[in-house]
Amino acid sequence: MYRLFLALRYLLSRPINLLGMAGITISVWALIVVVAVFTGFLDVVERHVHAANADIVVVDLPSWSDSRRLMKALRDDPQVAGTAPRLLHYGLLLRPGHRPPPAPLPGRSALHGGDQPFLFVQGIDPRAEATVTGFAAWFTDPEIPAELRANDQPLLPRGGLPTVLVSLHRMQKDGLAPGDKVVLTTARLEADTKGNRTPRKVQIELVVAGAFKTAHSGFDGNTVFVAQETLQRELFPDQPDVAQEIAVRVHDQAQLDETAARLQRIVLRTVERDFEGWGQVLTWRQKNGPFLESVQHQRALMQIVLIVIMVVAAFLMLATLSMMVNEKVADIGILCALGGTPLGVTQVFLACGLVITACGVALGTAGGIVTGVYLEEVRQCVRWLTGIDLFPIDVYNLDRVPCSIDPLWLLQVAGMAFATGLVVSSLPALRAARHDPLVSLRAG
Amino acid sequence: MSPPVLQAKALAKSYRLGKNEIPVLRGIDLSLAAGETVALLGASGAGKSTLLHLLGLLDAPTAGEVHYDGERVDQRPVGQRATLRHRQVGFVFQFYHLIPELTALQNVLLAHMMATSVWSWWGRRKRCRAEAQALLEQVGLGERLHHRPNELSGGERQRVAIARALLAQPKAVLADEPTGNLDSNTARDVVDLMFSIQRQRGLAFLLVTHDEKLAQRCHRVVRMQDGVVVS
Repeated sequence: MYRLFLALRYLLSRPINLLGMAGITISVWALIVVVAVFTGFLDVVERHVHAANADIVVVDLPSWSDSRRLMKALRDDPQVAGTAPRLLHYGLLLRPGHRPPPAPLPGRSALHGGDQPFLFVQGIDPRAEATVTGFAAWFTDPEIPAELRANDQPLLPRGGLPTVLVSLHRMQKDGLAPGDKVVLTTARLEADTKGNRTPRKVQIELVVAGAFKTAHSGFDGNTVFVAQETLQRELFPDQPDVAQEIAVRVHDQAQLDETAARLQRIVLRTVERDFEGWGQVLTWRQKNGPFLESVQHQRALMQIVLIVIMVVAAFLMLATLSMMVNEKVADIGILCALGGTPLGVTQVFLACGLVITACGVALGTAGGIVTGVYLEEVRQCVRWLTGIDLFPIDVYNLDRVPCSIDPLWLLQVAGMAFATGLVVSSLPALRAARHDPLVSLRAG
Repeated sequence: MSPPVLQAKALAKSYRLGKNEIPVLRGIDLSLAAGETVALLGASGAGKSTLLHLLGLLDAPTAGEVHYDGERVDQRPVGQRATLRHRQVGFVFQFYHLIPELTALQNVLLAHMMATSVWSWWGRRKRCRAEAQALLEQVGLGERLHHRPNELSGGERQRVAIARALLAQPKAVLADEPTGNLDSNTARDVVDLMFSIQRQRGLAFLLVTHDEKLAQRCHRVVRMQDGVVVS
């Protein structure tokens, strides 16, 4: 009984021990909150990315492949719910006579995009596209103001000119409105008489059909949609059925990877065998792998940084406990005289460290959970008090700060904190036990 | 005839200082019967305190034996020696050695807590508390139960230390110059108290002192010089 009793008395009579407890509390709190935000953010980003992508895409299709035959072969798979052909190109989209702005800072477009005029141009069949993605809902999104909305058939030519769907953000930024004329400047490779392929400038005059909006602002900012036949006519005039990519929707998301593997075999059978490397099948997660992994890497880096904070807190606890052992040398002698053993003395100081750790972990975990649950309210409160927005949700197309508390992570953090507390408590506790009780009594 | 409560047989202790062996005790024979009071007299460095620590099992002898109730105990494992120390002897030191964070009552109760687990403590705490309180009242500190050591005078602190030494109902009390840090009036009161309790409880009482007058109040006086008993 004396071990716990004395440990509590020592702790309560020395406010400096609160430093160690505060260090553990803060590090546990930060590990829970920051990782919860990153996990929530990753969940949201994955949802947004998936919302802007087909479940599976077949990419790098050769120009000589028979896309109709390939799509039919893909649709024969029982898991395939729909397919859509796509042409993909790059280009500058500007108002007639306008010069492109300077290049944006590198990396800016990964999450929010929209800063650069150099775009992915997707040539799609609107009907087929609506069967594989949420395309039909993208240009009827309630956030699109009425004056920027496209009609029911947005990619039908208007006034003899092909049309283009531009993201809501880009339209607002560039001051575009439905009916405005824009020019898409791109190039196609043409072979000369000697067989050399040289780029040739292509300019396509387009009419803005209206705005679209997906949940993934990075996709919106860098993408425009035109009709597939528009790109085919200008870039592949000799190949009426050309498709560079086939988007696929599956019935069961849980079997996505198995379905992708099966479709890969179908593609290899269908596309000419002599040209291996063509026709790669990617799930939406694989296609956006580098981007999703970058968020995961950021989360892992934050975990490392915060674990270092926990180690610093542990050193703080080690320092305060070591000071306490030095001050309590006389008590060690008294305890031995009263019938205590070196093990008992160890346990007194070990109990001090473990009580500090337990309180720090309990407070940090409770604080972390409460902060996580009310994170949006905390953000609003901080913004109201200081004007500082800790998490600009508009940038990431969110309605509140994402937060996902993983019970397993809570256990891992608590376990890590306890293990650290045990190690740093053991060192001064063992040192206390090595004190000769007679020397300790003389010191008193 | 019952065996002595404490007995030292040819007890020797030396310390190593570099290559040199410094003998502190050289073959001490001493026994202490129940109800007997013995004074250890001697100059500083005579080995009185060392003998006290060896008898209290706080230190291990270089040679010789320590017996409690006729059984040799100095070679027992650390845990057993600690238990014996708790049950058999109570220490009173010159500098009181109270724990400053605890009140007088808690300092005394600590003696009970030493041999009690957390779970059994909850069942016994009221009884233990009553015993500690009664003991503090017996030593005249009934009004000072909740005072910390720094709020007590030297004499009061020593009374708390006496109460703490007696709570576990030991058979012997080993007092190392218990009045060495007190003025003469307070010292007399404390000594009166100790002898009174010793008589009531029939304790074996070993008193280390420089004070010849105080030593004469004991049944027996043992004089030490350079690590040996001279008379």
